[in-house]
Amino acid sequence: MTVRRALTALCFTAILAFAVEPRLLQMPFTDRGPLVRMYDGYYDRQWPTYRAFLAGVRAHTKPGDTVTVIVPAMGWDDGYSYAYYRASYYLTGRVVLPVVGPENVRYLQNFRAARYVAEFGVRLPVPADVIWQGDGGTLLRLRR
Amino acid sequence: MIGTTAASDARALSAILVAILSLVVLGIPIALSVDRKSRGALLTGTAFLYGSGAIFLELLALSVLNVRWTLVSVTIAALLVSSASAAVARLRVPVQPTRPPVIVRPHLFDAATLLTIAGYAVYATLAPLWEWDFWAIWGLKARVFLDAGGIDWRFLGSPLNTFAHVDYPQLVSFNFDLVALIGGEWSDRWLGLLFVAWSLAIVLIVRALAARETTPFLGALITFGLSGLAVSRYVGLAEGALIAFGSAGVLFVRSALDDDDPASWRHGALMLGFAANCKNEGLALLAAVTMALVAESWWRGLVRARSEGDSGKPIRRVFTTLLRLAPAYILAIPWLLLRATHALPTDIAGGSAASRLMARLPYAHQILGFLMAKLYQPWLWVAVLVGILLAPSVARRRERFVFFVTGIQFFFYVGAYLSTPHNLRWHVLSSWPRLTGQIALPIAFVVLVMLANSLQASQDAPHAEARPDE
Repeated sequence: MTVRRALTALCFTAILAFAVEPRLLQMPFTDRGPLVRMYDGYYDRQWPTYRAFLAGVRAHTKPGDTVTVIVPAMGWDDGYSYAYYRASYYLTGRVVLPVVGPENVRYLQNFRAARYVAEFGVRLPVPADVIWQGDGGTLLRLRR
Repeated sequence: MIGTTAASDARALSAILVAILSLVVLGIPIALSVDRKSRGALLTGTAFLYGSGAIFLELLALSVLNVRWTLVSVTIAALLVSSASAAVARLRVPVQPTRPPVIVRPHLFDAATLLTIAGYAVYATLAPLWEWDFWAIWGLKARVFLDAGGIDWRFLGSPLNTFAHVDYPQLVSFNFDLVALIGGEWSDRWLGLLFVAWSLAIVLIVRALAARETTPFLGALITFGLSGLAVSRYVGLAEGALIAFGSAGVLFVRSALDDDDPASWRHGALMLGFAANCKNEGLALLAAVTMALVAESWWRGLVRARSEGDSGKPIRRVFTTLLRLAPAYILAIPWLLLRATHALPTDIAGGSAASRLMARLPYAHQILGFLMAKLYQPWLWVAVLVGILLAPSVARRRERFVFFVTGIQFFFYVGAYLSTPHNLRWHVLSSWPRLTGQIALPIAFVVLVMLANSLQASQDAPHAEARPDE
């Protein structure tokens, strides 16, 4: 066997070894429980009931309704972006209006424009009717 | 899991299984109309991908025609496509293949490949799709379109929703919608199985292509290794579909360059067209393939011209080759036109991309260094590069096309980073592993085949599939 041939065989083996995913080979034989707990709600660990709250908000609003969300973290990168994107996903068909944007720009006009306020983990002292409460939050309809 | 019960979970699981089976059934006549002689692994793999691509085109057409998406309207459209494809397949006169058709003979290592896919299926279905980009981009749009019964242009046009990458093509989101239409409601619980199907499809294609060029043992071994690159760990994002369509496209075009088989050209062009409908990187890949094809066919034409004394040969060859890629552009154009008509913004091109590029160019070496430092699976890339150097020069020349494509695509990625309007560091960290994963499979495939054939050099490696080696 020449040196080149040995190096070729070594390189062939190395590419295969680096490309193979050993974790996937083990996956069918591992206990799924801890993994399921880790991945189910991977990004929801800070507010574990937020998804359930949004599902409740969806059930109590109609397509076309305007909703804004208020959460304990009102900084864009501190949690508001998560709250807003998550709400957009769960409340499709409704118009979700952010009150905070990138760079923490405030959109108070969106708060005034919204028919509903979904407040999660906070209580707002605003004139409003409580439409539904549950899973750590309240759905309010603003009084005009 | 929110608001789910065992019954709705079971319904959602049935829906995705029916959807995957339907896509294969829809795709079989299309795959046969592309390549009448296709069988076994190649037929199954290409059938699923064509089914997945065809359903995107159908939903797009229904949306453009203002026909509301329902299970009935989608089924009627699917039956029309299926019947038309079956008619084309029947009309297509089988031509003498440029190389003998290959029957993939199972090997023990195929079990290891299947185990990888089974492991991926377990991973992809651990929970409802959890990736941020799924519920902020791909799944969000699918859900919005499902509610609207078609593309919701008002949603895409709203400045509130630019975070959802409204300009991105919709193949992946529309496939989610098919599952929801079959299930009768939106559920993200089992959508991960679509990603398993895309991965399995490209694995089957790789297996069939490897069988053409090497022994059953090496073909199975190479496929096993590459199965790790065929799966995307970003379940719910477009990467899984892009890896499948893009890799298939590049590998079929490579095969076509080698044997000039019209079926390989058709496969390559169609797969690249669908890749362009997965993600903007798929469009970049189509551009990269076009540039690499121009360079490669010019070079090959030049070599022929020298031997035949025909100076017009390179230009004619380039022109003929580009014509063969035309189906890819025909598939890519509808979404490009629609997004231009609706003025959907592209974030990378927003503002003054050129000025950002110029401002960052002086720091290009630092940025490249950062990319190298953050390279995902760096040792794989090192081994691939060493493999290229070790391979015989004749084999290297043969694989120039895939090297060009990979290099050009890398160049595009770097260009995108240099002109990004986002924080560069954040952009690299959040996307670089995904981007390198998109293009790893074709180059790893060709290097492994080169090395395998080099190791078997004494036994006339090409077309050695009939050789008993075990």
